[in-house]
Amino acid sequence: MSNFLNLLAAGLTSGGIYGIFGACLAVWFRVCNVLNLAVGDFAMIGAIATAKLVQDFGLPFWLSIVIAVVGAGLVAWVFDRVVLHFAFDRGVGAHGIVSVFFYTFGLSLLLEGTARAVWGTDVFGAPAIWSGPALPIADFHVQRAGVLVIGLAIISGLLLWAYLRFTVSGRAASACGESVLGSRIVGINSGLFRRRIFVGTAVLAALFGIVESPLSGFTFMSGPTISLIGVVAAGFSAFRKPGRAVLVGLAIGVAEAMLGGYVSTSYNDVLLYAVLFGIIIFRPEVLGLRAEPA
Amino acid sequence: MTEPAATDRAIGAPAATGPADADRVPAPAGTAVQAHRVRRHDPVPLSSAVVIIILGGVVLTAMNGSYLGLTVTTGVAYAVVAVGMVLQLGYSRQLAFSQSVFMGVGAYGTGVLETKYNFGAIEALLVVIVLAAVVSLIMGAVVTRAPGLALALATLLLPLFIYQLATFSGYLGSFSGINGVLPFVTGDDYEATTVRSGLIGVLLLGLAAAFVLRVMRSGIGLQLMAMSEDEQLGEALGVSLRQRRLEVFVVGSVLAAIGGAILASTQGLVSPTILNESTQITLLLMVYVPGRKSIAGVIIGAIVIEYLATSTSFISTNLGIIEGIALLIILLVEPDGVAGAVDRLLGRRTDQWAASLRTWGAAQLKTGRLGTRGGGNGAGNA
Repeated sequence: MSNFLNLLAAGLTSGGIYGIFGACLAVWFRVCNVLNLAVGDFAMIGAIATAKLVQDFGLPFWLSIVIAVVGAGLVAWVFDRVVLHFAFDRGVGAHGIVSVFFYTFGLSLLLEGTARAVWGTDVFGAPAIWSGPALPIADFHVQRAGVLVIGLAIISGLLLWAYLRFTVSGRAASACGESVLGSRIVGINSGLFRRRIFVGTAVLAALFGIVESPLSGFTFMSGPTISLIGVVAAGFSAFRKPGRAVLVGLAIGVAEAMLGGYVSTSYNDVLLYAVLFGIIIFRPEVLGLRAEPA
Repeated sequence: MTEPAATDRAIGAPAATGPADADRVPAPAGTAVQAHRVRRHDPVPLSSAVVIIILGGVVLTAMNGSYLGLTVTTGVAYAVVAVGMVLQLGYSRQLAFSQSVFMGVGAYGTGVLETKYNFGAIEALLVVIVLAAVVSLIMGAVVTRAPGLALALATLLLPLFIYQLATFSGYLGSFSGINGVLPFVTGDDYEATTVRSGLIGVLLLGLAAAFVLRVMRSGIGLQLMAMSEDEQLGEALGVSLRQRRLEVFVVGSVLAAIGGAILASTQGLVSPTILNESTQITLLLMVYVPGRKSIAGVIIGAIVIEYLATSTSFISTNLGIIEGIALLIILLVEPDGVAGAVDRLLGRRTDQWAASLRTWGAAQLKTGRLGTRGGGNGAGNA
């Protein structure tokens, strides 16, 4: 039983990571129908910048967190003003399916390249926000950073869900994703919502990277993998439901841990991704998409 | 018009009623652009292949097996994959990100056949082509059912678990991969071997480019363009969406496998890194920066990007920044990539094929053939 509970705790921790990035992707996709493939890179910026500010510049930990998070938000704001504003508000450049992936893919490359040039290829981890030994709960143990990850994921998912469902601002944001023209006709500034949510999810991702980095460490290359898993979690929430993305992420994490614990430590991810692949192909309605007739 | 009427058919004419009907179908108002004509005997693909083979042969021979020559041959391997991606992602806008996986099929297939079953290099290549065709046909029959984003998501997952499968499989050499892959042709010394193997790679690149150009310039190409603009439009015009999606997937995958085989034979080894997402990212850049619809663009782009990645440490260290900025500028300024910008600078029209599509669609409307499924009412019979 303790083995099961330990696996569950580990699975929920990694699932929280998948879930929060899935939620960040889903909420922004809902607003502007674009996948934020740079969300993992914002987490990387937050984690590595905090670690460097503390280690190399001797700044207080909390000040480093603020600087790193504000820095990530600033990068997102500048990118929106310089690229997304022209692409989506002024109608310049590539549109259609290319725009769904490639603007943020370009940003991801740029952030990854800049991180490599500035910080090198080492592994970095920010200091633990809640330091100390693993917490004993009944007969299993949970890392303190893991508790923060799970808690932050659930709280973020709930807040994003509530924002979209119960606030006028959230409904206006959703309307932008349904129809940019329609939302503009009724006086909604779609560009403003796109920018606010992009900056907000960048800040959230950076904060999450700081919380999570003591567990796994970050390199300049960590971003794309995180983003990819976030895309999977968001995909299983129809790309539009951040609350469900967190739940899906948690489920994926638990399934991964259980497969690793009870089936194969080497092939757990292979099995997991194969199952997810099968669901996408044979039950695409789970993603809110219909299959082509056979 | 230099070709006889029977073999030189404006796509505006419904083929089933005979090419002569082409003249009776007026172009819709506003289509002043001279439409491309679909020809049974189109000289462009073959001439392109000849140019690629001669030019590539001269360059590789001049480099005489040097490190630069090896880099160019590696670039040629990526270029073969990129040429397939022009058809798949660029021209048909099929959002499949499985090319690195099929590169792995080609590379690992070659490595396994040669090192474990004593196949010769060319024999292994032929078997790998058949294997990739069968695998992609089976996989494509399943994955191409998935619409738009679901297809993208499914194929994004593929590299994740195939990479792990390769790294944990002792049969595939685990993390170290497979060493001792043979060059296509063995020469008297290392330099001669490198040059001759490179020439085989260039030959395959020329054939791949000719094949893709032939498809793009045929009626099938117009059907693919119609699908890429709007699937409902394509279906209404009689295009069999599933059939065309599957064909494009198979062609892209087989060319990716050939590229993987060339890469393995050039480097003499297969590493699991060929399967991971960074390879896919590199391939996407090789297509989108030079121009996703330009065969010449992606060939040059693949070789240049491969060169930059292995050139001076300053460039290779900062390649991500360069690629990111280049991609963003391309997306904002010229979505058709560097090739599109060059076309614009040279004053070349880039909308002939769109004009052909409009003319063909108008003809379909006029003859009341909309909605017939199964092959585009003869548009693919060029």
